[in-house]
Amino acid sequence: MIDWGWIARHLDDIAAATSAHVALTAVAVGGGLVVSAVLALLIHRYRRAYGPVTAISGLIYTIPSLALFALLVPITGLSFLTAEIGLVGYTLLILVRNIVAGLDAVPPEAHEAATAMGYSPAGRLWRIELPLALPVIVAGLRVATVSTIGLVMVTALIGEGGLGQLMLRGFTLQNYTAVGVGTVLSVALAVMADLLFIGLLWVATPWRRARGR
Amino acid sequence: MSQPPERGRGAATVAFEHVSKRYGVGRDGRGAVNDLSLLVPAGRICVLVGPSGCGKTTSLKMVNRLIEPSAGRILIDGADVAGEEPIALRRRIGYVIQQVGLFPHQTVGQNVATVPRLLDWAEDRQRARTDALLTLVGLEPATHRERYPHQLSGGERQRVGVARALAADPPVMLMDEPFGAVDPIVRERLQNEFLRLQADLAKTIIFVTHDVDEAIKMGDLVAVMQDGGTLAQFGSPREILANPASDFVARFVGADRGLKRLSLTRVRDVQLRAAATVRAGDEVAEARRRAAADRFGYLLLIDAADHPIGWIEGRDLPAAGHVEAAMAVPMSPFLEPETTLKDALSMLLGADVRAGVAVDAGGRLLGLLTVDDIAGGLEAR
Repeated sequence: MIDWGWIARHLDDIAAATSAHVALTAVAVGGGLVVSAVLALLIHRYRRAYGPVTAISGLIYTIPSLALFALLVPITGLSFLTAEIGLVGYTLLILVRNIVAGLDAVPPEAHEAATAMGYSPAGRLWRIELPLALPVIVAGLRVATVSTIGLVMVTALIGEGGLGQLMLRGFTLQNYTAVGVGTVLSVALAVMADLLFIGLLWVATPWRRARGR
Repeated sequence: MSQPPERGRGAATVAFEHVSKRYGVGRDGRGAVNDLSLLVPAGRICVLVGPSGCGKTTSLKMVNRLIEPSAGRILIDGADVAGEEPIALRRRIGYVIQQVGLFPHQTVGQNVATVPRLLDWAEDRQRARTDALLTLVGLEPATHRERYPHQLSGGERQRVGVARALAADPPVMLMDEPFGAVDPIVRERLQNEFLRLQADLAKTIIFVTHDVDEAIKMGDLVAVMQDGGTLAQFGSPREILANPASDFVARFVGADRGLKRLSLTRVRDVQLRAAATVRAGDEVAEARRRAAADRFGYLLLIDAADHPIGWIEGRDLPAAGHVEAAMAVPMSPFLEPETTLKDALSMLLGADVRAGVAVDAGGRLLGLLTVDDIAGGLEAR
């Protein structure tokens, strides 16, 4: 069933597809995090922005991915940029919501104490609020990353796709080994990304590990 | 060993001059504080006390500009706080709140070093200061420095909060119900510890509470505030108890004003009775003789360092042999020199005992105080 010979002969292609997949995902989640952080801080400062921002990012989220790429292609062409605009757009809803929820969950008395002891607003955000919001933010990053790894597959239809490209060709040429390799590797990527975030959070939040009195 | 914290670099006077705070605009504006004028001399504790909604916390927060007054001025050593950059101002003013507000993601040491870190002190100076302050508030630095707030008891958290507020040796401290979130016995002990600290540090402290007893115990000066944020009376605890300025003040301090005057006297102010003591290893015959001579027939077992261990009733002693530690019955909470007679009375009645054991800050026996002694003093006053 599985053509091991094909795999051996195409290790280069598989590696290239995998690294393209990782790059598409990393740029999408990284870019999404930057855009979401800006939007979330805007909401944190001006609460009235919460409704409009989540409405728009929610609207983007409801557009079927294929339709979104179809809309973008006439503007930005069959390109990496087109793929990323779509992928970043899909991360916004979950990331904005989680960053805002994380900042909202900072204990009000810690916030008040920080202000009263002479933290500047930026210093307070950086040293007190963001560290305390980190667990909720990372929870959002995990969901966004895993769903992006899946969505990257769809961008094969506009000439990108990483492992999706490998699978698409496999379907066309009835090469089910290629399809199987793409499936297994994308699942492996998702699991590894999730474990990576769990590990990073564990390292970054020593206070959550301290037990007892 | 770290050196003791620097002695207060001189406290500052704090003056409220016709301070008002209104929320909303125009005539409909709700008054939170109305024309408050107070002068707190350097090195004194001024307690703002009143029912909820009387504007006491609002008044406190205007000192470090967490809230800006609508009218009037607040002066620290003659300088209007409105003329100072809020962030710099706040770093010179200690702040302690009921919920403590320790940063949960920072260790005790990092929490205490908050203001020194903001002021860019050198690492080793921060470290020395942190250790000295933890020692000062009765927490062993080596065992507490690396712990996180959730690993501490409520009383320990409050101590860390006080240490953090003292970190940069501020001349002024603001304390908003600082001992409100702990149980009564821990609160009594924290109050006493704080009064001992203050005797050395001599900070200017503005202290908010809704508890009249706490106000009388902690305050050199007490400002009673009432609804609408007006000052009902400002004076020493003695003046307020003896001559309430209005019906409101009389009602607020309570019908048991006479009893509350017991709060003006502390255990250290009264003549304590000598206890009939015994140590483990003493001859039973000698112990019996001492018990027989005692008014209540009880002996107080103390250890080699004079720490009380427990009571032994004379008639429970064996016929012969030596006194053993196991014979003693553990006792009720100890009275400290800073304990007020009112608290002492309630502790003794609560524990259903006739005599309380007074100990010094090191836990060594000072003497006994009986319910009768307290009642007798009440008649004499």
